[in-house]
Amino acid sequence: MNLSNHSIVTRMLAIDRRFIFMLIALATLIPLLNPINLPIMISPEVRAVYDHMESLPEGSVFLLSMDFDPASKPEVYPQAIALLRHAFKKNLKVIGLTLLVTGTGMAEEAMATVAEELEKINGTDYAFLGWRPGASAVILSMGQDLVGTFPQDHYGIPIDELSVMHNVKTLRDVDYAVSLAAGFPGVDEWYIYGKDKYRFELGGGSTAVMAPGLYPRLRAGQINGLIGGLRGAAEYEKLLDQSGKATAGMDSQSATHFVIIVLVIICNVFYVISRRQKRT
Amino acid sequence: MIFLKRQLPLVVTFCMGVVFAMQYYVPHPTSEALLKNASNWIIIIGGFALILGLVSLIQLHMHRIQRNVGGWGYSAVLFAAMFAMVIAGILAGGKNLDSERALTGYGWAYSYAMVPLQGTMFSLLAFFVASAAYRAFRARTKEAALLLIAALLVMWGRVPLGEYLWAFSGDIAQWILNVINSSVRRAILIGVSLGVIALSIKIIFGIERMYLGGKKE
Repeated sequence: MNLSNHSIVTRMLAIDRRFIFMLIALATLIPLLNPINLPIMISPEVRAVYDHMESLPEGSVFLLSMDFDPASKPEVYPQAIALLRHAFKKNLKVIGLTLLVTGTGMAEEAMATVAEELEKINGTDYAFLGWRPGASAVILSMGQDLVGTFPQDHYGIPIDELSVMHNVKTLRDVDYAVSLAAGFPGVDEWYIYGKDKYRFELGGGSTAVMAPGLYPRLRAGQINGLIGGLRGAAEYEKLLDQSGKATAGMDSQSATHFVIIVLVIICNVFYVISRRQKRT
Repeated sequence: MIFLKRQLPLVVTFCMGVVFAMQYYVPHPTSEALLKNASNWIIIIGGFALILGLVSLIQLHMHRIQRNVGGWGYSAVLFAAMFAMVIAGILAGGKNLDSERALTGYGWAYSYAMVPLQGTMFSLLAFFVASAAYRAFRARTKEAALLLIAALLVMWGRVPLGEYLWAFSGDIAQWILNVINSSVRRAILIGVSLGVIALSIKIIFGIERMYLGGKKE
């Protein structure tokens, strides 16, 4: 009997990883195909970004730096879509850019898609500046001379000819900036080289794995709010009352989290049993 | 030659280090213009770094193909993909969308090849994380048990199902992130920052010279 128990414990601790892969795949797929739409609670850090956007008067300058690459698209792109929807609905002057060259296409797509959805015109309601090399140096340079850093927008139109940019000469003219980051350069760089020196309000968005690292900045008031991962994007979608891909993905995320929780608990139960068996 | 290799870089580092450390605290227009010029230099150097990276990548993979190193076929695929993207990019003027908001060839390759491929690579992590968590996340010590409990609570409280099953779990996860996580990370950040300041001072004053080539005089 003991030998049999020992065998089960050993086998459970060394379970075939393909079994775990299959559980994760099912936990992802089934809720996507049969959504339950569980209620999403709003966290204070996401609400802070939303409330600040709400407090901006019409015509305020909102800068969205989409500093993420395709690998982070599932998590951060829905954040960009939600923020752009909010900004365009509020009739803010929207400036979009990216500090990651591989993010240019997604940033352009996000701006164009939401602008078309809300019938906004490039140059009049928004500008997409594209990408410049230099990472944090681009932020510093924009703080000194935004037009000099981006003499033309992504489409080759001189910045001076874009009416949306008329009163925006440096980062000091920006009312609210949000960096959606997936690594370097990201929220940290926007704070250190941007907000700290040029004094504009800054919010952050990031992948879920990066979000805990940004809490010290949040608590210190260095960023006024934080949208963390797909969950943060889903919360923002709920605040906007417009469900999108983030809300659709929350059931899957719930299921996969719980599969991992159950697996870790099972693994530890068998681990404790195996230790007791070794002692006896 | 020793002057060019050793003394000159040390002098330049000292001057630039002192000037830009002072610059932060001097809001005079001349000081701001200096920062603007330096930022522009960095942006231009960043552009050249891209070319350097490209040349280095080509050299590395050419070498692999020439010597028939195992997996050289992947290097050939890299060249094919890279040059296809460069040609598509030049033809599209670097734009993903044309004037009628339709995808260009470059945009098509980006949206339907690069984005799904990178997304897939990153998504695979979920499977490996789950497998690794099962194998490695064990309460071997008291510290590991604490970490395990904290991780489970945050995982539970950060998803709608967790909050639905136990409404208080969201607040617990929030407290762990806001209080415990923030304080520990802040301590690490302060430590790292002090280390960076100390290292910067050593570099500015020429005490730390490893960046000159790694050899000590």
